[in-house]
This record gives sequence, C-alpha cells and structure tokens, in this order.
Amino acid sequence: MKTFQYLRPASLAEALDLLARHGPAARLVAGGTDVMVDFKKNGLEADILVSLRRLTDLRYIREGNGQVHIGGLTTLRDLERSSLVARRIPGLADAARVMASVQIRNVATVAGNICNAAPSADTAPPLLAAGTQVRLVSPAGSRDIPLDQFFTGPRKTIRRPDEILTEFVVPIPSGPYSQAFWKHARRKAMDLAMVSVAVHLELEDDLVTCRQARIAHGVAAPTPIRTPEAEERLKGKKITPELLEGIGEASCEETLCRDSIRGQAWYREEIIRVMVRRMALRALERCRMGRPA
Amino acid sequence: MTRDRELRYVGRPIPKMDAAQKVAGRAQYIQDLKKPGMLHGAIKYSDQVHARILSIDASRARKLPGVKAVLTGDDIPLIPIGFMKDNLALKKGKVRQYRDEVAAVAAINSEIAREAVDLIQVEYEPLPAVFDPEEALLPGAPLIHETDAKGGPNKSNRLKLPWNLVCGDVDAGRAASTHVVEDRFSTTWVAHCCLGASGCLAEFDLSGNLTMHSITQIPYLAQNDFGAFLAGLGLEGKNVRILSTTIGGGFGSKLDTHVYEFIAILLAHKTNKPVRMIFSREEEFLAQAPRQPTRIRIAQGCDQYGRLTFRDVDMILDNGAYTSWGATTPSVMMVPISSLYRVPNVRYKATCVYTNNLYSQAMRGYGNPQATFAIESITDQLAEAAGIDPLEFRLLNVNQPGEITPQRFRVTTCGLRECIEGVADKLGWAEHRKNPKKARGFGLGSLIHVGGGARVYKSDGHGMIMRVDDFGKVTVITGGVEIGQGLETIIAQVTAECVGVLPEDITVVKGDTSICPWDVGTHASRAAFVSGNAALAAGAKLKRKILELAGPMMRVDPKDLDLRDRMVFSTYDPEEAMPLDKVLRKAHFTAQGTVLTAEHFYDPPNEMLDKEFKGNLSCSYAYGATGVEVEVDEETGQVEILKYIAAHDVGRALNPLLLKGQVYGAALMGTGMALTEQLVLKDGKVQNDNFLDYKILTALDALPVEPILVEPVDEAGPYGAKGVGEPGCVPVAPAIANAIYDAVGVRIRDLPITPEKILAGLKKKRGGTL
Repeated sequence: MKTFQYLRPASLAEALDLLARHGPAARLVAGGTDVMVDFKKNGLEADILVSLRRLTDLRYIREGNGQVHIGGLTTLRDLERSSLVARRIPGLADAARVMASVQIRNVATVAGNICNAAPSADTAPPLLAAGTQVRLVSPAGSRDIPLDQFFTGPRKTIRRPDEILTEFVVPIPSGPYSQAFWKHARRKAMDLAMVSVAVHLELEDDLVTCRQARIAHGVAAPTPIRTPEAEERLKGKKITPELLEGIGEASCEETLCRDSIRGQAWYREEIIRVMVRRMALRALERCRMGRPA
Repeated sequence: MTRDRELRYVGRPIPKMDAAQKVAGRAQYIQDLKKPGMLHGAIKYSDQVHARILSIDASRARKLPGVKAVLTGDDIPLIPIGFMKDNLALKKGKVRQYRDEVAAVAAINSEIAREAVDLIQVEYEPLPAVFDPEEALLPGAPLIHETDAKGGPNKSNRLKLPWNLVCGDVDAGRAASTHVVEDRFSTTWVAHCCLGASGCLAEFDLSGNLTMHSITQIPYLAQNDFGAFLAGLGLEGKNVRILSTTIGGGFGSKLDTHVYEFIAILLAHKTNKPVRMIFSREEEFLAQAPRQPTRIRIAQGCDQYGRLTFRDVDMILDNGAYTSWGATTPSVMMVPISSLYRVPNVRYKATCVYTNNLYSQAMRGYGNPQATFAIESITDQLAEAAGIDPLEFRLLNVNQPGEITPQRFRVTTCGLRECIEGVADKLGWAEHRKNPKKARGFGLGSLIHVGGGARVYKSDGHGMIMRVDDFGKVTVITGGVEIGQGLETIIAQVTAECVGVLPEDITVVKGDTSICPWDVGTHASRAAFVSGNAALAAGAKLKRKILELAGPMMRVDPKDLDLRDRMVFSTYDPEEAMPLDKVLRKAHFTAQGTVLTAEHFYDPPNEMLDKEFKGNLSCSYAYGATGVEVEVDEETGQVEILKYIAAHDVGRALNPLLLKGQVYGAALMGTGMALTEQLVLKDGKVQNDNFLDYKILTALDALPVEPILVEPVDEAGPYGAKGVGEPGCVPVAPAIANAIYDAVGVRIRDLPITPEKILAGLKKKRGGTL
C-alpha cells in the first residue's frame, strides 16, 4: 500500500513554508472529505499530505467594510448554522444545507470544496452569484482573484502549488437584494447535483426593477460557471415570471451540459430553464419579505 | 387457539434481543473474525467481457514477498458449481463476464494480496459479445456456453429451464372478454446493498475437514454444496461445518453459495492455513449477483361487469453469463400471476437467456415484485378501459378466504379486502375521487405471497432443540438463521409464552451446523412461521415433561398443573405452587436424577409444485395492499410521496415492533426499486459500483409510512401468524406508478421511474419534442 508523510503545521507561515519546500509532492488537506476519497479510489499522487486542521484562525465568518469575510477553513456546517450567512448570503446557506450529510458537513471546509473544483461543487454557484473574491496567499505575498476567474477546468484552478486559499470576500450590496440556490439531485442527502442553479438579484427601491443580477450553475459546464448574457438581459428590467422564462432559456444557451451516468444533457437544460425562473422568483420573494435585513 | 388476553409475550412490542450488541459495536461480523496464521484472499477478475483466455502469467505475483498461493483455472480440478453446474470457481478456457474470476491469491495481508492480483497478466482473445437477451436468442448470436453441464452442445443461449404454467383456457377467456388491455413492462438490476459486505473464512483441520465461517442464509444447503466441492478436490466424505457470524443483511443475497466462497476453500486447501476473503464495497456491486431483471408482455381482460377473465404473461429473463437463483424466480412470479385476484384463465411463460451481463439471484420477494409491477400496472389500465374506479375494480376481483386458485393454492385466511379497504380509507380515496388536486395522484397495489413457508426444496423443515437448566433458564437451539429480521426475539417470545417462563430466560443458540438441527434456510418469509411452530411443539413437550416431574413432588395430577411466569401451580388452587427452578433442581440432584430436553422438527404441510407447476406451495398465504399519494412536479418530473399506507394481512403480529420494522424497511427498499435504484450496465460493465451513483434512499428520503395490521388469525401459523419479511416491498412500484398516472396521466413501464422518464412522458403528452 502507498504510504505518505502527514504533516500538521501549526501556522499559516509554517504551512506555506512546507509547500514551498516540498513543491508539487505535497498536497493540502483540510476536512479530507475529498482528498481521502480520492486517495482510496485512485491512490494518492502526492507523497506528503499537509494538513491545515491546526490553522483554526482561518475558521471564521465576519462582517466588516460592507463585506462578509469567510475564512477558508470554515466548515460547511458553520455556513449552515451562521445567521450572518443566512442574512447576507442566503444562496450559500441554501447550498450548505443540502450538501452531503451532517457528519461530512462537520469536517468539510468551504475552501476545500472550492479548491477541489468539481463541476458539482455546491458552494461554487452561490459564491459565484454573490460576486465573491478569493484570497490566495503564498510566501511571495497575496493576491485577490474574482471567483469567476478561479476555475480553469474540471478539478483545475489557477491556484499555484505554493498558494493557500485563506479567505472568501463577499460584497454586500447597498440596496435591496437577495439570492436563492437549487440543487437538483435524485435524493435528499449524500448526493451530487445533477445540475444546480444560483440566482443573485439586486433591486431598485421599487422592489420590481432589477439593478443587477448574477446567475451561476454547477454541472452545466466543465467548471461552475456564470451566464453573463442572461444576467445582462435582466438588468434594468421589471421582473415578471414571463421575463424570467426567457432568462432561463438565455442562461441555458450559455451552458455546455453533457450526458453522463448522472444525468442527460436535455434534462439538465430543462432544469436550468425552470430553476432559473423559480430561484429568481424565490430571491424576489425573499427580498420583498425584507431579507436580507 | 389461545385467546389474546391470555397471551403474555406474544403480540408484545419487545425490542430486538441483539439490537444493543449491534448498536454498541459488539456484534462480531465476518470482517471482525481473525484466526492465528490467517491468510487474506483476493480475486483477479476479467477485464474482458467475452474472450478466450490464451495465457495467464502469475510468475510475478508468485514471487511477491508475502504471497502464499496463487491459483488459476489450470491449477485446480474441474468442479462445476451453481445449480445448473454452468460455472467454475476459477474460469478455464474463456471468460463470459467482467466479473469472471480468473485467478486468486492468498497472502499475509490484504494489501499484498491485492498487489499480487494486479501483477497477474492475462492474455485474452476477445470474442463477440451479446448483452440484449432478445438479441441473444436470435440465430447466429454469440454462444455464451458452447456446451451444457453434461458436455452436450448448446444450440442457443436459451436455458434448458422452461417455465410454463397453463390454467384454464386463456384463448377462450380472451374471446369472452369485453375489455382487453396489453402492454409491456421491464424491471432492471437492483442490488441488495447489505451494509455488511460479503466475506467468509475457510479453514481445514489436519484430517481435511472443513470449517467455513460464513454469512450464508442457507447453512445446511451450503454444507451440501461445499461437501460436493470437497469431493471434487479428492476429500470425499470429509466433514463440513458451517459456523455463522453475525450477518450484516441478507435480503436473498446469501441464498446461494458463491464463487468467492469456493475460492476461499481452494486457497485454504492449497495453503493449509485459514483464509479469509472479504469483499470491498466495489466488489459487492461488481461481483455479487443482483435482482433478476425482466422483460414482461402482459395481457389481461375482464367481462362487462369488470370481472377478470384471463391473464397472459410472457417474460424474457436476462440470465447473465451463469445461473444462480435468478433463473428460478419464475417459480414465485407464478404466485401473483396465477393467484392475485380471482382470474380463471392464466398462462405464463418465462424464457431465461444467457448473455454477457451479470447473473442474478434471489432478492426480497423472489421475483414477486417484478411480476406484481406488471400485474398491478395493467390492472389499473384495465379498470380504466372498463370505466371502473381502480379501487372498486380490485374489490370486485378480490381474493377470498377458502378459495382454491387456478394454480391450486388452497387459500385459508385472506385479509386482502380489509387491506385494500383500510388503505383506501386512510388515503382518503373517496374524497380524492370527488375533488382531485392538481398534479396529485393516488395509487394502489396489492400483493399475495407465500405466508407459511414454501416447499421449494424436498424439505421445508425447521429443527429445534430445547433444554432447561437447574435455574429454569431455557436454551433454544435452532437451525434458523438470523439476518436481522428478529428471529431470536420471536423464538424467545414464543418459547416463553408456551413453556411458561419469561423472554429473558431464553438463550437462543444458532449458527453451527454441528450443533443445531437442520433447517432449509432463511427465505420465503418463513423463519418466524416455521421456527414459531417448532417452538410451540418443542415447548409443549418440554412443559409436559416439567409438569410430569412436578406432579409427584406437589402431589397433584400433572394434568391439573400449569406453568406460568416460572411458577408451577395447580389449576384448581393457584396458591398451591412450586417455583420452576426448585422443581428442576429436585429432579436433577437426586439419585438417577434427570435433566430435561425436548426437540421438534417442524415441516409445514406444503406441497412441491408438480410438473405443471401446480400445487399448494404454502399452507398459508400472506396478502397486503399499499397505497400512496404522490405529487408530481410537472416541470421537473420529480415525485414526492406525501402519504404511504401499507396494510398487511399478517395472521397475527407476534411482535408489532419488529413487524413494523419489516414494513418500514420494505417500503424504503421497494421505493428505491421504484424510483432511484438501478445497476447501470454498459456493454456488460457496471458503471456505478458505489453508493454515490447507486442510489439507495437515505434517512432524509424516508417515507411517511403508516402500517395497518390486519390479523385474520391463521390456524396454520404460530399463534396464527403468517410470514411478513418480503411482502412489504412487493406492490410498491406499481402503487407509485399508478399514482403518477393518476396525477399527471403518464404511465411509466420501465423501472426505475426517473424524473427524466416522467418529464419525457409529459412532453410527449403535450405534443412537444425533447
């Protein structure tokens, strides 16, 4: 059986130092819910596992400067239980609630979910729709990247092997806004999305006219994606179910759904058409009900 | 028959006796078993689906440090296995499926064994393959087996195992029908998904006797199979002892002896060391055998009043590359085909066909769920054609106590009417018919199953020995197998009831063929029925012996004594009493004293089906009905089950807690089969060998199951009980399919009923295209 070294740095600096020293031979592990599955199924390509579990100061959710800051090691369970997330990023709260199982959510981290970069990563569409930036830190310094530039392919990101994703920065719009997320799956737990849809709506004070919108999907392309043309078509319009029919169709046009054992392309497209409309209406309703406060 | 109010333990919701041990992690499963010097076995499977084996190079595997044996088909005697004798433990000459076992390794640990397996090189010459059973029947299709078990040439892939049942005159019935509907249905491969993966541990003593640590549901038939295999190894007449560990789920998956078990025996024999073979979860999906898939053509008719006139069923069964019990499921499919509702003329034909797919075996219901899916779907279609409400249509044709069915089943008690009416009432059928809600639908499915065992083997018997010690504690030695259904608890309840002690006084000893008397196995929902009857008879003998000892001690005629709650007392004057333990010690510790045992071998009065497949297969039949209310999302095709009512004619609920557990579990298993579960095979290769892509339902998908227990006490059963292990999952798929049709007018004929199929049906109905 393949053996590996298991290192547990006590600080971010130490972790970065280990990554710099070992290069691509090292692989980061946070909650381990993807890495260990990969290890058991395919064997591990890395010789060294660098655990981030002692970096507890990277586990936080806080608000400041009109932004929500989420530490990379925040667990999915933390997201699910955070009133701040529920209030400010309701689409992300929707996603956290339907991921895997409670046991897995207790250890799986949000940075792990994003860095694993599966097309089905459930936190990706709501974070994309929220306009999130990610902070990547290396010994050379740090850089902030919009999440929609982060994914480069299935399980591929622009993160360099010497970098650690430390924080997500989510802007809080100044006017009325809300979000909703839908995971389409065959069962209610322990499942991957067949396709997923996140909608973020910012409204004028009339609560009818769209100031800005972002629409993102999982499993609709090789990476989680936004559909900017559909977003653009919402801008400045009064939102009605009829308008949203067309937006769903337009959003669908921008996807690259494919057939796999988990679902057929035509069905995924159908769900995108329907769920863009339904999630936009849900976001609208949430907005009108005064959420987020 | 004892009256209810006199029963002290039977009928009580007593928790499972072994539950705490399991929850606390103390139960010993096959994975926990270790022996000094034990080796670990691993299997090399084929990477071709149909190919000649040109050569196998195991030299690198043999040289790997820690490897103690490597075996291929060339290293072992030719010993055909399986009930059609069309399989070998290690394949020779050619492979016919990806799951084919071509080599095996025993090593000092499982990692080395796996590594060695990967070092074995096999050279193949690919052959044309066939995966569709109907194509496999065409002239010129690749032959899966060139010869039969006797060495004679096979001309086609059709198994020499015809299933033909003819009752009455179907053509006349059809001619006399006012309404006739015909349709086709299909069911696919469904995996048992036992939480405990398969495994065994084989060890020989120095005289060549085999001890097999096993999770089989059929210890005594396995003993027979392994004994025949030993004879093939030159060990004729040696002893085979089966020792059972705790079993992590059965559901029929352990009703046959399996290739991995024979391989473990070969490796243990070769190395003369104990060899343990444990399946990974992936192997559990790839190299176990799932539920038998079916392709069904069915026609059914009724007269102008809605009375059934005939039922005509033709099935093709994809047998896969070898034959296990899947090929015999028509024997049980016949039960609902001939006898669900009163239908005078019945024809049933099933053809089993070899293909390069997985082979199948028994699974909860033994074909009954597949057949009932077609019958209960077409029954709704026929009711609609006749313009009769599906509930009323079923009640018009409902089975009745005392009837003799076309297959010559002699029905004793039958609570089907009460089941159907109970379900309809709880669902709110009448109100729904008056005021249907949009996209909401109601569906019904009924069932008949054997309820008093089934004579599918020469004996349907169950052996039991009881002994009582000096403290009044009773040991019950049973040949039955506990697979989680609660056999031990039921035996303790019945024994305590009929002997006159408390359930906690009972110790159940099981799982050792050298100690426990013969039993045919845990199948056909028979365990509580046969072991309960055996306990009643053995318990009565034991009690009589106790009272005969107590009589002289108490100076009371034993006829006037009774035993209850550990106390022997005079029925005339209950004050005149003597504690049971005192009686027993007095009888034991005296010159030429005595200790008490009693035994009984209970074989129910069941008949084997004759050459025409007729006869009274079971002395008692179980009935039931399932009703669901569903809501269909017309834009996504998703189905939500809002209500789930399951009524069961159980004769008597020996333990309502365990009984409802069976109903809840069966509901989830049946709903999985209906909606989400399927092993996906592409050109013979399983695409979803894990719980991520093989979708059993989770705790969050659990249904709002409401059981209804109908108890028409059946004289044949222990305290009137019938079997209930399998029935719950029999009518689930058609009930759901009927409800979906009721909700949105789309009939799904191929399981599982996925949202894609429903949405495609809706689009077709609306006249659109995909």
